[in-house]
Amino acid sequence: MPRFFSNKRLILLLVGVIVLVALISFSLRDRHNASLPERVAKDVVGFGQSIFSKPAQYITGMIGNIDGILNTYDENKILKERLNEYASVQAELREVKLENDELREIIDKKEDLNAYDPIHATVISRNPDQWEEKVIIDKGAKDGVAKNMAVITARGLIGKIIVVTDSHATVELLSTENGNFRVSAVVRGEQSDDESAFGLIEGFDRERGELIMKRIEANAEVEVGQQVISSGLGGIFPKGLPIGEITEVSTDDYGLTKMVYIQPAAQFSMLDHVMIAKRTSVTVDGTDGNGTAGTEGEDGS
Amino acid sequence: MMKAVIPFIITVLFFMEPIFSLFSPIAYGDALLTLVPRFVIVALIFTAVYGRKKDAIIYGIIFGLLYDVFYIDIIGVYAFLYPVICLLAVGVVRVIHKHVVTVIILSLLLIALLELLSYGFVSLISITTIEFKEFLTGRLVPTLLANSLFVMMFSWFFHKVIEEKVFRRLNEFM
Repeated sequence: MPRFFSNKRLILLLVGVIVLVALISFSLRDRHNASLPERVAKDVVGFGQSIFSKPAQYITGMIGNIDGILNTYDENKILKERLNEYASVQAELREVKLENDELREIIDKKEDLNAYDPIHATVISRNPDQWEEKVIIDKGAKDGVAKNMAVITARGLIGKIIVVTDSHATVELLSTENGNFRVSAVVRGEQSDDESAFGLIEGFDRERGELIMKRIEANAEVEVGQQVISSGLGGIFPKGLPIGEITEVSTDDYGLTKMVYIQPAAQFSMLDHVMIAKRTSVTVDGTDGNGTAGTEGEDGS
Repeated sequence: MMKAVIPFIITVLFFMEPIFSLFSPIAYGDALLTLVPRFVIVALIFTAVYGRKKDAIIYGIIFGLLYDVFYIDIIGVYAFLYPVICLLAVGVVRVIHKHVVTVIILSLLLIALLELLSYGFVSLISITTIEFKEFLTGRLVPTLLANSLFVMMFSWFFHKVIEEKVFRRLNEFM
């Protein structure tokens, strides 16, 4: 049997290992701020990636269309029934919006936590080794995307921006196992704001496929079936982005606060078109961002 | 001209990986099966076995680095794993008989090794918390099954196109 490694090669391999360990520890320390060469490489690869993903999306879109045509009849029936309902809701919404604007003018309140500018983007790829739930989108700093912005689909919140380069950005999905991914959320009360229960979305139960919301006050009343939305109090996300519906209420490990399981409103697989919600009111840059606000300790988005 | 064929194929496979990973995870019964496309490493192994070892290692470092920068945001993981797997492939092929079937089996074993090493790494830096048993049934086995389809197709393609046209011509020059 030939010798597997000669002495020279062994030394080369060892040097290689040392260099790589140094590189790994260097890049682990500051994963979410890409350096200039990294940004350039990301943009170049991203450009190539979008060349490949556009036709792939076209094909999956076509299959989706065929599927859609087959269901048209049934869907049409349901939609027609909904249409009458929709007209009256629309009229009511217009009334309420007008009234809201007038009231705002009276109390001279210009900022609105709910308001955001949508930036439309296309998902060009997903982290293929799938240890982390990340997708890459084709909009970046030059389109106004910045770190920590909320990413939504038509159905609800799906994640936030973690890395930005000139023309691409990486989104960490809500279905991540990362315990540092917190979203400040609120369980909307039925009647008034007083009944709302605030908490933090942190963690995802892989087996159940559901989000976990923790740190809800023990005497807050939450029920199965209630809607959970983002609260906007983390300082980065806009308020009112739908997150999901409560499926189970329990207490946390120490029995001091409540914990609920949430069926996410959005779907995390087969993403194609997403929106980045750029909050229009003042954003606070906590420890999640660059720490410019001088906040210490934990915070969410 | 002919020399550019292999990097071109690897580039195409590199961009195909995330597209195929969009289909994953697949729900089977009540279990979620994660399928990880490992196309690039298969092409690298075939290059290492049938072509020149040096080429395979250089491509391994380049594509590993791109993979790290673009997807993982930790530089050095795949830039290290890809060339090491290529070296192992060369080492093993020196000892065993080089036949289509053995190379296919070897590729699958090395994909399994790559998965194991990457699992070891991510659990070391605690990116994931899944248990080894769940990794085995929910990720390693489905990944191997899905990739075995690709390895067989790629092996056929490689023998038909690359070996006969490219390597023979390259060898004539040398």
